Amino acid sequence: MEVRYVSNSLEDTKKLALMIGKNLFRGSVISLNGDLGAGKTTFTQSLALSLGIEDKVSSPTFNILKCYFDGSMPFYHIDAYRLEDGTNANIGLEEVIEGDGVCVIEWGQFIKEMVFEPLDIQIKILDNNSREFVITSNFSKYDVIMEDLKEICR
Amino acid sequence: MKVLILDSSNTDLSVGVSIDNKIIYKMSYEAWQRQSEFMIPEIEKAVKETGIELKDFDEILCGKGPGSYTGIRIALTIAKTISVMSGAKLKLISSLRMFGNREKKFIALINARSARSYIGVYDHDQIILEDTILSNEEVKKYIFEHPDYEVYGDLNYLNLKGKEPMIIEGMLSFSSLIKEEENPMSSKPVYLKD
Ligand SMILES: Nc1ncnc2c1ncn2[C@@H]1O[C@H](COP(=O)(O)OP(=O)(O)OP(=O)(O)O)[C@@H](O)[C@H]1O
Ligand SMILES: [Mg+2]
Repeated sequence: MEVRYVSNSLEDTKKLALMIGKNLFRGSVISLNGDLGAGKTTFTQSLALSLGIEDKVSSPTFNILKCYFDGSMPFYHIDAYRLEDGTNANIGLEEVIEGDGVCVIEWGQFIKEMVFEPLDIQIKILDNNSREFVITSNFSKYDVIMEDLKEICR
Repeated sequence: MKVLILDSSNTDLSVGVSIDNKIIYKMSYEAWQRQSEFMIPEIEKAVKETGIELKDFDEILCGKGPGSYTGIRIALTIAKTISVMSGAKLKLISSLRMFGNREKKFIALINARSARSYIGVYDHDQIILEDTILSNEEVKKYIFEHPDYEVYGDLNYLNLKGKEPMIIEGMLSFSSLIKEEENPMSSKPVYLKD
């Protein structure tokens, strides 16, 4: 199943993230892909907000993994950009990916073998302020999310 | 002989003390992702309650994996440090084997993620299947084909019910079968995925 959403502002992106965020559950995995500056971190920040996380969610590029425990469930934010060549990828990330909370992975395509049954989100830059989000689900556990999205997507 | 028993190789944290093979202190609880925070304070508590100082232990018994990537390294790093500083012997025990004891025939399992399990199979003092990774399908088949073995571990991920391990008792039970580390400084964890 696949839906598309065009965001013309930060507000639009936030609206999409909140819509997905409210249906997330323990064990949800989101793989975010798209060029540098596409909006992966921006989108993740709003997702975190929907779980009640008040700590500022920043890019974990240099940390690889950041964990947030102050929301309604554990929130794990991975940036796999620096794991592209496969070295250093073996640091137990699968324990939080297939874990007890929500896991969002920027550049999930770089550690594909580890990303367990994800909801795939591809972000395309249309122009300065516009982005296209293509959301693909191959797993029935995300059906509720996908159904809800039909309301705002085409 | 005084032994300090440490493990954080899976989701639990365990600290125990034995004298001449009798457990005189034990503490074990779920501490997933907080083991690094609690391990040192728990060791301090054990020292205080037993009156045995760290330098007075003859042996440290520690879990070596397989299990949680970070978890294994927390107890092992601390165990190595104490061993190097105090001269106590260091013995490492499989985190699967410690689920049972020398009186049992058992299959020990830990979720390795990606539809796989860490599995070790033991019959009293014998190793039937050396710790390894198998697909969950293979594991289920193995369990089905070996009904005379008890199955240990948190098996919710397989939709099965496993027996709850007694970590500290299990570790102590096997300790006399295990050789001490010749060079504790360079002891390495077993991860099986490397
Ligand atoms: N409609 C929009 N939705 C999201 N971000 C937008 C939008 N329009 C403009 N932007 C801007 O795009 C940038 C996205 O940056 P962000 O750090 O989120 O990208 P990223 O995909 O995480 O990049 P990187 O690959 O470097 O981690 C921000 O500066 C944001 O303000
Ligand atoms: Mg980013």
